[in-house]
Amino acid sequence: MNRIVVESATKRFGSGVLTVFEGLGLAVRDKETLCILGPSGCGKTTLLRCMHGLAHLDGGRIVIDDLEVRAPRRNVAMVFQHFGLMPWKRVSENVAYGVELAGLPRTTIDERVGRYTEMVGLTGFERSYPYQLSGGMQQRAGLARALALEPDILLMDEPFGSLDAQTREILQDELLRIYQQQPRTMVFITHSIEEAIALGDRIVVLTARPARVRDTILVDIPRPRTVASVVAHPRFVELRDHCWRLLRERLVA
Amino acid sequence: MVRAASVLAVLGIWELFGPLLNPIILRPPSQIFRAFVDLIANGELGVAMVQSMRVFGAGLAIALAAGITLGIVSGRSRVVYNVLDPWISALYSVPSVALVPLIAVAFQYSGDAPRVATVVLFAIFPILINTQQGVRNVDPGLLEVARAFNTSERRLWGDVIVPAAMPFIFTGIRLAIGRALIGMIVAEFLVGLAGLGYLIIVYQNTFRIDKMFVPVIVVAAFGIALMGLVQFVESRVAPWTRREQ
Repeated sequence: MNRIVVESATKRFGSGVLTVFEGLGLAVRDKETLCILGPSGCGKTTLLRCMHGLAHLDGGRIVIDDLEVRAPRRNVAMVFQHFGLMPWKRVSENVAYGVELAGLPRTTIDERVGRYTEMVGLTGFERSYPYQLSGGMQQRAGLARALALEPDILLMDEPFGSLDAQTREILQDELLRIYQQQPRTMVFITHSIEEAIALGDRIVVLTARPARVRDTILVDIPRPRTVASVVAHPRFVELRDHCWRLLRERLVA
Repeated sequence: MVRAASVLAVLGIWELFGPLLNPIILRPPSQIFRAFVDLIANGELGVAMVQSMRVFGAGLAIALAAGITLGIVSGRSRVVYNVLDPWISALYSVPSVALVPLIAVAFQYSGDAPRVATVVLFAIFPILINTQQGVRNVDPGLLEVARAFNTSERRLWGDVIVPAAMPFIFTGIRLAIGRALIGMIVAEFLVGLAGLGYLIIVYQNTFRIDKMFVPVIVVAAFGIALMGLVQFVESRVAPWTRREQ
């Protein structure tokens, strides 16, 4: 079953001068993690923003659960590359932000904040301000804020892109563990091939601008996974080489 | 330590060599201290302080209320910004002192009103402009986060815009306090015979330099105390800004 369908999506910037992507089509199945892999500046983030209704297409359409996307929905949550925490809110207040706006009762909010703060490993830091946390911990809070909505769909915009390599791997493992606990539909934007293979059930490889789908790759590495188990899997190297070739052919051309 | 030593050294030199100068020009600190005690004892200083603080408090309160409100509205609304901006630019470019005689005439030199108006004129622009800048400089990333979580416009103000502008607003308040004190003294020099500024003029005209220094010191101490208070309030109201300090 498809949760998200993108049909011949086109997006232009600068009153049509710059075509970001054109005639782009893809589908995200229920409870799968779809990684969108592409070179920098190919419009991956723009595509994700369009999926959430934060930006609008110039052509084509995006459908979630049989309804065309026009504005952000309550059952879809987003995690941002820049974390997007409010500096003036404590961790618990930041985690509560989405559920508060969703208008849930106070007891539910408190219960969710407690549960997801614990799930992302931030117990004990509820009263800290973001500036008192490391980048990795800030993104844990960003993740908890999205999870607290208990969304059907998670949109992840290069969430670990600005973290150092070690922290990134730890958080990738956390995300795999959280998926194991609560499988949900996820779109994960990244420019890291290793990350796409570790996290994705399928990988959509985009070309450079104007972006199109170059290929869709099935990641046939069984779950439950950890980053270490994926890297050690015999298929890993083949998948990585395959992705590399696809990305590189347009870079050279 | 070095700061205290510096102050003590200057006061010491002043005390030693001050008496050698003509008393019309300068008096040593010990005589200023005695003048201080005199002015407190005869009630002159108390009366002047009450007069000054009344004007300063009213003027600053009006300037903050109006400045923050107008700053927020004009920071968020293009139309209001365009309506206000030429006037703000024009009034802020003119040295405020040059407008004080106009205020005096407009308020017919009567009561506290012209002096309060002068304080407002001096204090309102830094607070208005800073608030405006703060609202306009809200991190677009955070605005997008708010949209992504389906914020309402009302919640957007409380959750994002006002807190984001808070450090700018406090900077504006600090600048406004400094300028409000200037406005207060200028108004007391030029309009209406009252307050600490008036004491300065009176004792200058009667060559009582020791007494003239008293209100100057009071204003300075008041300014420093108020800045400290604002700092304290900011650390309470906006603790996250400690990062920038």
